[in-house]
Amino acid sequence: MQHPVFLNTRSVSVYFGLWALIAGVHFSIYYFFYFIPIEVSMADSLVFNFLFCGVGISMWYIVRYTIPDQKNIWNVVFNHIAFLTLAQVVWIGLSYTILSTVFRSNKVYIDLLVISIPFKIIVGIIFYAVIALTYYLFIYYINLQEKVKVESRLREVLKETELNMLKSQINPHFLFNSLNSISSLTITNPDKARDMVIKLSDFLRYSVSHNATSFTTLEKEMANISRYLEIEKVRFGDKLIFSFNFEGTCRSHQIPVMLLQPLFENAIKHGVYESTEPVSIAMDCEYKEGYLEISIVNDFDPNAHARKGTGIGLNNIRERLRLLYKNDKLIRTVVEGNRFSVFLSLPNTENKKV
Amino acid sequence: MPLRTILIDDEQPARDIVKHYLKDFSEIEILGEFTDGFSGLKAIQEMKPDLVFLDVQMPKLTGLELLDLLDQPPLIIFSTAYDQYAIKAFEMNAIDYLLKPYSKERFTQAVLKALAQAGSGDRLSAPVQNLVKTLEENPEFLQRIAVKSRHKVSVVPIDEIIYLEAEGDYVMIYTKDAKHLKEKTMKYFETHLDPGQFIRIHRSYIVNAKFIDRIEYYDKENYAVLTKNGAKLRASTSGYKILKQALNM
Repeated sequence: MQHPVFLNTRSVSVYFGLWALIAGVHFSIYYFFYFIPIEVSMADSLVFNFLFCGVGISMWYIVRYTIPDQKNIWNVVFNHIAFLTLAQVVWIGLSYTILSTVFRSNKVYIDLLVISIPFKIIVGIIFYAVIALTYYLFIYYINLQEKVKVESRLREVLKETELNMLKSQINPHFLFNSLNSISSLTITNPDKARDMVIKLSDFLRYSVSHNATSFTTLEKEMANISRYLEIEKVRFGDKLIFSFNFEGTCRSHQIPVMLLQPLFENAIKHGVYESTEPVSIAMDCEYKEGYLEISIVNDFDPNAHARKGTGIGLNNIRERLRLLYKNDKLIRTVVEGNRFSVFLSLPNTENKKV
Repeated sequence: MPLRTILIDDEQPARDIVKHYLKDFSEIEILGEFTDGFSGLKAIQEMKPDLVFLDVQMPKLTGLELLDLLDQPPLIIFSTAYDQYAIKAFEMNAIDYLLKPYSKERFTQAVLKALAQAGSGDRLSAPVQNLVKTLEENPEFLQRIAVKSRHKVSVVPIDEIIYLEAEGDYVMIYTKDAKHLKEKTMKYFETHLDPGQFIRIHRSYIVNAKFIDRIEYYDKENYAVLTKNGAKLRASTSGYKILKQALNM
């Protein structure tokens, strides 16, 4: 953070202008009220105020690095008392030395100088307090501005994420092909058609009823993914094989809603859509050292050379993890021969609400 | 004489509904059904059907890539669930297509149209030929190129192409272990391959920058590009300029 006095020419002139004003008041009191000779009044005012003007500038570095919070309040108080004492000793000591040397023959003034020390100490404390408070106000103001900026950016990203989620949920390929399958099944197998309409409805309902920051249990998320895969299985039959294998303890863990869905969609898109051979999709999950370790592995045909994906799906997940867990290294992908794997480790967030 | 027909679609229910609707047409005889672009193409070449129901999105070869490989396309009724680009191409060429899911009326209309066309003896449907031309104008860069030899169709990923050479009305595509003839122009490849990777160094050559081994003098004034598989390709003056730019030399 920049020194508030030296932000711009205006801040510099305001700071020095205020000190000039204080020095003027100081001079006026000495000259008009105590009838101290003009050159002595002027010197006293200049030396004391100019030196504190310097102390005030250096105080920034103390304030800057002693920001109070709940834990270190005594630490902050101690730091300030220590620096205040040091500042007073330097300020008064230096001023006294300079003035008593210059006006060593003026006995009356030297007496006044000594008598005024306690008063100077009080004035010094007031100056110190006012300057320190001003600096703290400045820091809080800057931090507040920054926070507002960061928050509005976060909100923007969230909105984007939600929009992308919406787009990926209502994947037109999936929707229209499923509807075509249903149309066909109404003739060949009406019971199955009805079953598929219900599955598709449940799937769509689940998809649109949450936003990018909601959490749900892994069990509910997997129930929805099962619905999705069963719909796809009606379309692709034996070409699609899937298996879930997870420890019972994983089921109740909280995960972001619709986080895994795009990964299964990718597996279908790059695996099943592009292959003539059966493709298997396997998901494993275990709970290890505070993390839910999830892997989703699918086969694909490496000779298909289909249009590459845009990577929006994976980036979107990475972005959501970054927003929700403040960490974007929780997902990683591996391509090995004809096998594509995604690994996720989600921190344990019991009853997490954002 | 019945209209000999095949179905190509990778989804069972999608084929089922076509078969069901076709029961009402005694003039149509179904020869078989196929589940991907390769087997579909082979079937068209071997069985020479009169009519094909062709899905756009399929594994191996899309319906549009398949069409591109046919010398004499039969009557085709395309179907797609959602492929903006294909739909645009169909509309530009007044090709009848079925948008999934479709009604029985809509299906019947398409089949009657095909039957009328078949009756008029117009087998080489002009719109379908024009469709191939429209597809060539797709501004997207290619990821793969489908090629056929006398007996086989294969898909060449563009990353495996070392260079392309003009051969009359054709282009020869050279990969590490094979070469494939493709009925397309150099201009087509120049616009459909990423110019950051594929450089037109000569009227007759486009080279993949990834496979350039070195560049040396061809004669006093001209340069030649040597590829990693040992081919020596002459570069024209303007081609050499483009090459220098692309390689930041």
